Amino acid sequence: MNEKKYYLTAEGLTKLKSEYEKLRRTRQLRIGGRDDAPSALHSEELNPEFVHFQDDLASIDIRLAELESVFKNTKPIRPAKGKVGIGAMVTVSVDGQEDKLLIVEALEADPAAGKISIESPVGKALLDKRAGEEVSISSPIETVYKIKKIDHFTS
Amino acid sequence: MKEVFNFLTKIGDLKGRDRRGWLLHNVEKPETTAEHTFHLALLVWILGRRKDKVDLDKMIKMALVHDLCEVYAKDLTPYDPLLSEDSEKNRKILEKWPEFTPEMKRKKEEDKRQMESEGLKKLTADLPQNLKEEIEELWLEYEGMVTPESRFVKQADKMVNFLQGMDYWRKEGKIRHDLWLRWIKEIIDEPILLDFLKEVEDEWIIKEIKE
Repeated sequence: MNEKKYYLTAEGLTKLKSEYEKLRRTRQLRIGGRDDAPSALHSEELNPEFVHFQDDLASIDIRLAELESVFKNTKPIRPAKGKVGIGAMVTVSVDGQEDKLLIVEALEADPAAGKISIESPVGKALLDKRAGEEVSISSPIETVYKIKKIDHFTS
Repeated sequence: MKEVFNFLTKIGDLKGRDRRGWLLHNVEKPETTAEHTFHLALLVWILGRRKDKVDLDKMIKMALVHDLCEVYAKDLTPYDPLLSEDSEKNRKILEKWPEFTPEMKRKKEEDKRQMESEGLKKLTADLPQNLKEEIEELWLEYEGMVTPESRFVKQADKMVNFLQGMDYWRKEGKIRHDLWLRWIKEIIDEPILLDFLKEVEDEWIIKEIKE
């Protein structure tokens, strides 16, 4: 089975690596350098603190594994020639207003900073479109995005 | 216990703090920050249960702390950098979605995070160390938007704001529902929240337009 590929900007990758390191440090602190629970939590009977400790550790391990998979499958952003893809800064005209949207993986979306997820309705609709094309977002009220310009960023 | 008493009495102020975005739109009796937080925490709990492989307890706590900084920090709106003392000019500005360059958007967000971080630090300064750290870490994770939990809660915050905005549009006609619909479709990518958005459109927006 093909694993999902991730196309991240340098900034996005740095942010994820920073989270990975932070999680590793947290894990080390939790276990105090050991691979099992602190001895104080071991008990013959069901100890709620021990259960909580194990749940906590398990969720950290799952997240670490997810991030390792992202790093393993991160590929350089290759600009789609003349088309909107991940890493494209798209200048659009909407309702007479101009805006610039950077199209990114969901993992690094930050709409308030202008980074729009490729999996959002607008991101999906713009994907593979070219300058000059118009994209209509189907909703109760139609919104038309006219693509004026596409600039590309590489990772 | 005195520190906890002080903290709990200070955050009680948020029960009487009208949200500025709605005041700008002249909404009568707008929701307060505490009411918004209550709505968000429940939305996160109920919709977050449908999401696999996330720490739901953490998400609910994240929702509860996400606006605590507003005890001291200003409740900012996307329009703030464009507003002036001239109410007529402000009215025209509110008729459109605020326009910023990518650099301005980045700067605006950095300034907002800085101001809110200072507000939160001031609020939690005297709390017991482990509680202070937990609140600050939850808020930093929420603002960082890197983890699945924080991405969900951040989008849920926008969704609950959208829901409230559409309610004011239906009841008072004071919100530009077309602008808000455009905005929300640039923001949401969580499938669970997109399903919920579809429900809001079907139940409120389509029906309201037809009437």
